[in-house]
Amino acid sequence: MAQQSGGDKVTRYIVIAMVTLVVAVGVIFSLVGNKSSGSAQLPLNASKSDGYGIVFNSELSGVPVVDIWEDFQCPVCAQFEGLNGTYIDSIIKEKKAKVIYHPLSFIGPESVRAANASACAADEGKYLDYHRFLYTNQPAENSGKWTNAYLVVGGVAAGISSSKFEACVNDSKYDSWVNNIAADGAQKNINSTPTVFVNGKEIDRKTQYFDAAAFTAAIEKG
Amino acid sequence: MKKYLPWVGLLARLVLGGVLLLAGYLKAFSPDKSQMAVRAYEILPISVANFLGIILPWLEIGAGLLLLVGLGIRYASIFGSVLMLIFVIAISQAWARGLSIDCGCFGGGGKVAPGETKYLSEILRDLGLAALGIYLIRYPKTRFALEK
Repeated sequence: MAQQSGGDKVTRYIVIAMVTLVVAVGVIFSLVGNKSSGSAQLPLNASKSDGYGIVFNSELSGVPVVDIWEDFQCPVCAQFEGLNGTYIDSIIKEKKAKVIYHPLSFIGPESVRAANASACAADEGKYLDYHRFLYTNQPAENSGKWTNAYLVVGGVAAGISSSKFEACVNDSKYDSWVNNIAADGAQKNINSTPTVFVNGKEIDRKTQYFDAAAFTAAIEKG
Repeated sequence: MKKYLPWVGLLARLVLGGVLLLAGYLKAFSPDKSQMAVRAYEILPISVANFLGIILPWLEIGAGLLLLVGLGIRYASIFGSVLMLIFVIAISQAWARGLSIDCGCFGGGGKVAPGETKYLSEILRDLGLAALGIYLIRYPKTRFALEK
């Protein structure tokens, strides 16, 4: 009897040790994996001081600064893009605003893949075209459609013809950068997508996101 | 009557432990979302919310495993029921302040459209789970537990 209860005790300690180990390893890996990496490679026009976002018209001053956080898999972001995308492209082209894109990746692995591919497109000077390609070909969340092979072919649709792009997508070259964007978004309390800041302040979620005229006015007002 | 208590306890352990394990598992591998869910309650400083978003799923997994195998039942139950009561308070204040968020209990979380909140059912569910935990704190002797 004493023998048996001694054996039970050992089993209990082993089980407790295993559970503790699972929890400790999980916490440590998650904390480390979530941390911003100082050695992450940055795509062209990404700026650390702008939260690692892809910056357009960084040389301008005295114009509204528009920060856009989105997840390429988020259906509401696709709606937002459909409604305001052409306008945003136009203020970039006409140099009326400094626009910073922050692709978040909280919906799943395909968001990470798409964000990495968008960074590869930024290197080719085709971020906006690729951005449009992703939203017009957005599948249901985590459907498995956005494989690297699919994202490489998308480059052609966005006018990219370099083999560097293909390697960049397949090597997940900018995954650490994607993680840095996420960590920065967490620090800035971004709790839904899309989120739009104009000059550092969020525009009104109820009235200014999904009304093209109100959105334009919110940006022009600065 | 007394001899059924250990069976009721077993059921309570399996339900509370199973829910904790599942809830933790569904969140543990998407820390960005989990952090977002905690931040969306708008109670804690952002850095604390982000830290909690990462560690909470793993603590739930740990407590869930202990309840399922029946070890440290009392401690795991105290953790589980206190956690559920904190969730009830957090969800209630979000409701009272008119926030539109998903509780993020089983993954998901963050802001949702105002018509899509499910505060009442979330609160009732968590109260039920808290009750199971409290039962186990009172009667930690259950069937098929690793502990004596």
